[in-house]
Amino acid sequence: MPIVFACAASHAPGMTAWTEAAPKEQAENFLGSYRKLGDRLAASKPEAIVALTVEHWANFFLNSMPAFCIGRADHYDGPVEEWLRIPKGRVPGDAKLSAQLIDACLDGGFDPLFSDELLFDHATFLPLHFLNPNMSVPVVPVIINALTPPLPTPKRCFAFGEFLGQVLNRSEKRIAMIATGGLSHWPGEAQHGKINIPFDKNFLDNLIARDYTQLTAYTHEEINVEAGSGGHEIRTWIALAGAVQSWKAELIAYEPVVPWATGCGLVEFNP
Amino acid sequence: MSLYQVQKLIYHVNRDPERRERYRQDANAFVRTYDLSEPEGAAILNVDVRALYTMGVHSLLLRPFTLLNKVSNEDYAQALKGLV
Repeated sequence: MPIVFACAASHAPGMTAWTEAAPKEQAENFLGSYRKLGDRLAASKPEAIVALTVEHWANFFLNSMPAFCIGRADHYDGPVEEWLRIPKGRVPGDAKLSAQLIDACLDGGFDPLFSDELLFDHATFLPLHFLNPNMSVPVVPVIINALTPPLPTPKRCFAFGEFLGQVLNRSEKRIAMIATGGLSHWPGEAQHGKINIPFDKNFLDNLIARDYTQLTAYTHEEINVEAGSGGHEIRTWIALAGAVQSWKAELIAYEPVVPWATGCGLVEFNP
Repeated sequence: MSLYQVQKLIYHVNRDPERRERYRQDANAFVRTYDLSEPEGAAILNVDVRALYTMGVHSLLLRPFTLLNKVSNEDYAQALKGLV
């Protein structure tokens, strides 16, 4: 079966940890849309979710920092953060699909790290909380280093996503793909709280216009200055755009939520 | 004597409950188990947000570490005021 569902979503921890700090209308619009995306994910009856995601010092440190890592575990525990107000839980994995993906990568010109034990922090657990609320669909995490430079380039992330899309479209399983992170935010930095709405809107326009020239032309410095250290997470969205290139992207929600210190976006892709 | 060692210490305190407990019991002794310069050790012991930030500690290591040390959002922002 081919890929049956795809969406990209931000994962600001404030969405659950301090939901009520946001203006009520913004929070309800965004989180309501998030849950509806989860309904549509379920309606697509996926047998596995491939999550293009990031992490925040949950598993990797500077002694060993992969550009790309594919989880190959039977399950993943999380969330790491005690304060996220999401109950701790165990997310089923799909080790067989993981192994198939890793083999395909090594045969096809990509050499990701693989890991049989990964913890999920809010980057993966929060989107799953909305998109896979009963944690009933097994997950294969694909972690992209958007945390600490040097990072894989947007161009390379697009190519990696394109490759994963080709492999998954040949899978015998029904696959949902999700991308998580972004948009502009400066977590813990001196500019914490800043949101660059023009950058976010331009990025979303490029995504919706399927302007892959622009999406792959972003430089590290441009993202760093215009979208903050957290903005680097748009690499997961760019990878997803590569995976479902022929699909139409639709903006489901964009809310620059100041108390969550993040430009929050939701995009759904449809064939 | 390196930013790597400073970040390693912070990463350990943030992520490893056993090491966090040792840090809480005796921070001076804990800091001596890492290869830090005198200013680096002082910045850790004083939870000097501005010094740690300007020496290049990653913001997503620094903010959880300062939260463990009960630095409020306001105090954190104040410590970084004027930096870009």
